[in-house]
Amino acid sequence: MEMTRRSALIGLLGCLAARAADDALPKAETILDRYVEVTGGRTAYQKRKSEVASGTLEFAAQGLRGTLTRYSAEPDKTYSAMELDGVGRIESGTGGGVAWEKSALLGPRLKSGEEKSQAFRLDAFNAPILWRKLYTKAETAGVEPIGGEACYKVVLTPAEGTHATTMYFQKTSGLLVKTTLVAVNQMGEIPVESSVSDYKGFEGVLIPTKLTERAGGQEFTITLQSIRSNVEIPADRFEPPAEIQALLNKAK
Amino acid sequence: MRWLAGVCFGLSLYGQLTPEQKQLNTASFEKVWTTIRDKHWEKNPGGLDWQAVHEEFRPRIDRAETMDQARGVMRDMLGRLGQTHFSIFPAAVYQYAGLESGGEGSAGLDVRVIDAQAVVTRVDPGSPAERAGVQPGWRVVSAGGKDLAPVIEKLSADPAIHELQLERAVMALLSGPVGGVLHAIFDRGGDRDLALALDLAPPRGQSARFGNLPPMHVWFESRRIGEVRYIAFNMFLDLVRVMASFGDAVSGCKPCDGLIVDLRGNPGGIGGMAMGMAGWLVDKADQRLGTMYLRDATLNFVINPRPEVFTGPVAILVDGSSASTSEIFAGGLQDLRRARVFGARTAAAALPSIIERLPNGDGFQYAAADYVSESGRRLEGAGVTPDVEVKLTRQALLAGHDPVLDAALEWIRSQKKWK
Repeated sequence: MEMTRRSALIGLLGCLAARAADDALPKAETILDRYVEVTGGRTAYQKRKSEVASGTLEFAAQGLRGTLTRYSAEPDKTYSAMELDGVGRIESGTGGGVAWEKSALLGPRLKSGEEKSQAFRLDAFNAPILWRKLYTKAETAGVEPIGGEACYKVVLTPAEGTHATTMYFQKTSGLLVKTTLVAVNQMGEIPVESSVSDYKGFEGVLIPTKLTERAGGQEFTITLQSIRSNVEIPADRFEPPAEIQALLNKAK
Repeated sequence: MRWLAGVCFGLSLYGQLTPEQKQLNTASFEKVWTTIRDKHWEKNPGGLDWQAVHEEFRPRIDRAETMDQARGVMRDMLGRLGQTHFSIFPAAVYQYAGLESGGEGSAGLDVRVIDAQAVVTRVDPGSPAERAGVQPGWRVVSAGGKDLAPVIEKLSADPAIHELQLERAVMALLSGPVGGVLHAIFDRGGDRDLALALDLAPPRGQSARFGNLPPMHVWFESRRIGEVRYIAFNMFLDLVRVMASFGDAVSGCKPCDGLIVDLRGNPGGIGGMAMGMAGWLVDKADQRLGTMYLRDATLNFVINPRPEVFTGPVAILVDGSSASTSEIFAGGLQDLRRARVFGARTAAAALPSIIERLPNGDGFQYAAADYVSESGRRLEGAGVTPDVEVKLTRQALLAGHDPVLDAALEWIRSQKKWK
């Protein structure tokens, strides 16, 4: 009987503690704006007009390795090229209202619908300072431990598309450590968990240089070795390849 | 040699288990149960309360007094799933058939089991077998001093061994280390049997690596047969080269009457290659070959039409050794009525199934995903049934004919006439 009463008391105290914690949760916009501050501040972000990043990619369990180069520029231009052993070259890009992909496996294709809007959202240049434009709603949903650190869980509703994105920010450092979302592509909707770490400073902005993504029972890690901001990028770098242009012409 | 099969059965039927063997059977049972719990594509495998299944079967494995009883308990448990590609292979099958023996070295022969006989169906150009004059239709009587008839008889009698595994076992007996020699006796179909010592050379094609998989030799063949383009390749691997070669071959078919894709003996490989290849043959957007179900995701095998698509007649050739990606490709294009399939029913092994050795030495096969073709049919366990079933016979091969290819050519030519 004593045990039952004690359990009930502990349970009640637990509920009260949880309620107190909920009451103390900061607003999502405070957490998101703090992230901008701790990674360098709005002004530092605004000084960045373009970026070239390169690194390595590894599917450790499958033994697949490769390289990655990514060009990006304001407002929404990107071009990425991956060379993966045994799979070949996978290119993708956004810009001028077009999102596309081209690979040795599937050939050239244009992204459409939610996949397209997701590509523009995830590839947005200086995305941390654009969250008010990219998302219509942001809510703090609680506190969860990740890697032994308490993290604020923030749920964001995208301006375009149906699936929410959830981000986890460390309470102490304010840094983003994990994102979960449902990736939409032509093969379907796949839950994805991305963990980021190894923040390093580049031109006054802290950027995570390691990303581990888990989806569909597989995991890969991207490690960025070089990030250069405000470098000259040839104008045609963001032009879609001829095969993509052919698809665009066909679609007209 | 039939007595040897009897001995193998006898050993497992009447041998009482030592405490160590019982312990290994228990460990094997736990490995099978845990694997299904963790890796089956459904959270509740087969719609069952998998924990309750454990509680029901665990006392039975503890009571098992023979290997057959222990194996029977595990097979019964897997049977509750009501799904194919979950089976237990006796360790004796591995030891007896030499499933784990062989090597990379090849004499350049492809063999199928036709009417319980190992019959040569293809001789690789430039191979030791071709140089020695081996012909399609010849029966392999023995290899490495081992008579093949009892091996085929024993493996065929085991319901857990499908045609694909049977033919792999036979091919394993015809292989060995590169630089070695295959001593084989051939029945030439009339003449006296011929004993040959064939050098074992690196297999046909180029060595290709894909991640942790061991290097594998992949070949791609494209040629014209009259006004028809014929394409064959032994695996859906070596992605960059094979995809480019397939694209070139299809593009080169623009002025031709039709296209034949020969997937006989092709065990599959990278599933996505089926989608990529279909993109050269399907000009309508938003078409799918089928859908794969994983535990936390559903993957649509979508076709991206290439900028230039071949729209003429397409024939796909299959047999009991066409598996996995071959079945996804053939079944999907058949469902979309984009290709006509010729030959024999495929291996019914469309799922990415894995075979692992258990602590007691037995083999355990399981599938980690489900796949449904575009028409809603489950290829796993059923395979692709050809639109035109053509039986490969030894007599036809000896006469220099390939009845499956002939049927496909005739159909393509009839399409031209009809047009």
